[in-house]
Amino acid sequence: MRLLQVTHGASGLVPLEMRRYVQAMIDSNPSAPPAATPPAPRQLGQINWLGLWTLYLKEVRRFLNVITQTVMAPVVTALLFLAIFTLALGRGSMVVHGLPYALFLAPGLITMTMLQNSFANTSSSVLISKVQGNIVDVLMPPLSTFEFTLAYAAAGVTRGLLVGLATGLAMLPFVPLGLNAPHAVLWYALNASLMLALLGLIGGIWAEKFDHIAAVTNFVVVPLSFLSGTFYSVERLPEEWSFVAHFNPFFYLIDGLRFGLVGVHDGNLIFGAILVGVVNLLLWALAYRLVASGYKLKP
Amino acid sequence: MKPQALPEPAGWRPPRNWGRIGWPALWALYRRELLRYLRIAPESLGGALISSLLFLAVFTLAWPDRLQLQPGVSALVFLAPGIAGYALFHNAFENAAFGLLYDKLEGMLGDILMAPLTPAEILCAYVAAAATGGLITGSAVLLVLALFMPLPLPALLPVLAFAVLGTLFFALLGFLTGMWAEKWDRYAVVDTFLVMPLGMLSGSFFTPAILPETARWIMQVNPVFYLIDGFRSGFTGVSEVSPLFGFALGLVLTIGLGALVWRLLRRGWRVQS
Repeated sequence: MRLLQVTHGASGLVPLEMRRYVQAMIDSNPSAPPAATPPAPRQLGQINWLGLWTLYLKEVRRFLNVITQTVMAPVVTALLFLAIFTLALGRGSMVVHGLPYALFLAPGLITMTMLQNSFANTSSSVLISKVQGNIVDVLMPPLSTFEFTLAYAAAGVTRGLLVGLATGLAMLPFVPLGLNAPHAVLWYALNASLMLALLGLIGGIWAEKFDHIAAVTNFVVVPLSFLSGTFYSVERLPEEWSFVAHFNPFFYLIDGLRFGLVGVHDGNLIFGAILVGVVNLLLWALAYRLVASGYKLKP
Repeated sequence: MKPQALPEPAGWRPPRNWGRIGWPALWALYRRELLRYLRIAPESLGGALISSLLFLAVFTLAWPDRLQLQPGVSALVFLAPGIAGYALFHNAFENAAFGLLYDKLEGMLGDILMAPLTPAEILCAYVAAAATGGLITGSAVLLVLALFMPLPLPALLPVLAFAVLGTLFFALLGFLTGMWAEKWDRYAVVDTFLVMPLGMLSGSFFTPAILPETARWIMQVNPVFYLIDGFRSGFTGVSEVSPLFGFALGLVLTIGLGALVWRLLRRGWRVQS
C-alpha cells in the first residue's frame, strides 16, 4: 500500500518510495567508493547441479501442469486398446506363448504408451520453445551442453516411466501382471523412455513447425510402436518380415519389457539388452552434438 | 411538436437485406472452416490414414485365422467399416471442436459473432464444414483400406445415410465441446473420456455377442453403436439391429442435440462475455 502513496511534488505525481530513493541518491556523495563490492561470478563447479535440477523441474512441471493430456489420456487410450483387442479376439479364448491374449498384450501396450509419451514430451517442449522464441531462456543460462541434454532427456524419461507405471497400475484390476524379472523391467523401461526422449529431443531440434513433428509422430513413432510386436508375437509375421523385426530396437524394448512383466519373449534378451544400450549411446552422442553445435537452436 | 425528419445524407443506402438466410455469409464461413480443414489435412488426414492402416495390420496379424464375428462375414470385412466409421466420426468431432475452440482462444470468435450472421447460420456453417471434413477423411480411409483388402459394397444408401447422420451428430458434439471448453485441456478431457470410449466401445471392432449377457446393455445404450452398426450394414448386408430403427434414433438424437446447441449459442453461453 505504501507504494501507492503519492506526493504532490514539483514534478507531478511521484511515488513516495521512489522520491525517498532519489533523495538518498542525491544526498550521498557520488565520488565516495561504493558501500559494498559487487558480487563475484558464482563458481558452479564441474556440473551446475542447481541449473540442471531447475531445468529438469521446469520440464517435469510443464507436463504435470496438463496432467490430463499428458498422463491420464494415454492411460485411458491404453485401457481402451486393451478392451477392444481382448474383446475383438473373443473373450480371452486366444492363447499366445501359453498366455491368455490380454496378459500377452498388456506389457506391449505399457511399452507403447511409454515410447509415445517420452517422445511427445521432449519433442513438443523443444519445438514449442523454438516456435514461441523462449528457447533463448534455456540457452542463455550457465548450462553446459551436457546439462541441457540431460535435463531434457531426464524429464522425458520421467514422463515415460510415470505414464508406464500409471498404465500398468490401471491395468492390474483386469490383467494379473506380475514382476517376473525386476531387473529386466528396470533396464528396458529406462532404455525405452530414454531412447524416445532422445529421439524426441533430436526431432524437436530438427523440426521447424508442428507439421514436421506431427509427421514424425504419425509416420515413424506410431507405426514403429504399433508394428514391433505390441499386439502380436513376431512369429506370426511372414519369414522375410520377422527378419526385419529382429533388427528393430523397438521390438527388443517391447519384447524385453514383456519378459520382465509376464515372462515370455520372442527374441534374444541379452542381444536386445546390449542393442538398446548401444542405440541409446549413439542417440545421446547425436543429441549432444546437435545441442553443442547449436543446430537450428541458435541462429 | 413533431420532430422533423432529417434529410438522408448523400450516398446513404438502406441496410442490406439478406432475406431469411444470409447465404453469402453462410457460404463464406463454411468455406473458411473447410479451408482450415484442408490446411491441416496433412496431419489430420495423414494421421487418420496411418492409424486406420495400422489397426487393419495389427488386427490381421493378431487375429486367429478364419475368425468370424458376424455370420457369413469375414473378420476383415467386418472390421474395415468399423475402422472407417470411427475415423469418420472422430474426425468430424475434432474438426468442429478444434475450429471453434481455436477461434475462441485466439479471440477471433468475436469477428464471427459480430458479423451479420444468425446463431443458426454460425452453427450450420461450422457443423457442415466439420461434417464435410469428416466425410472426406472417412472416404479417404475407406479408399485406402480397399487397396489392401477386398471391400464389397452391396448397399450404398445406408452407408451414405449413416455417414452423414453420424458426422453431423459428432460435429454437433464437437461444437458443444468447443463452446464449453475454456482451454485445450478441457477439449482433451472430452475427447479422452467421452468421445474415444463411446467410439471405440461402440462395436467398431467387435459385436455385442462377444460380451457377456449382463454387459450388453453397455453397448445398447451407446448411440454410436447404432450409427456404426447401420454404417456397416451397407458393406456386410448384416446388422445387429434394424438399420431403420438405428437411423430414426440417430436422427432424433442429432436434432435434439442440434436444438440444444442452437439455444445455447443464441444465449451466447460461454462464447459471449
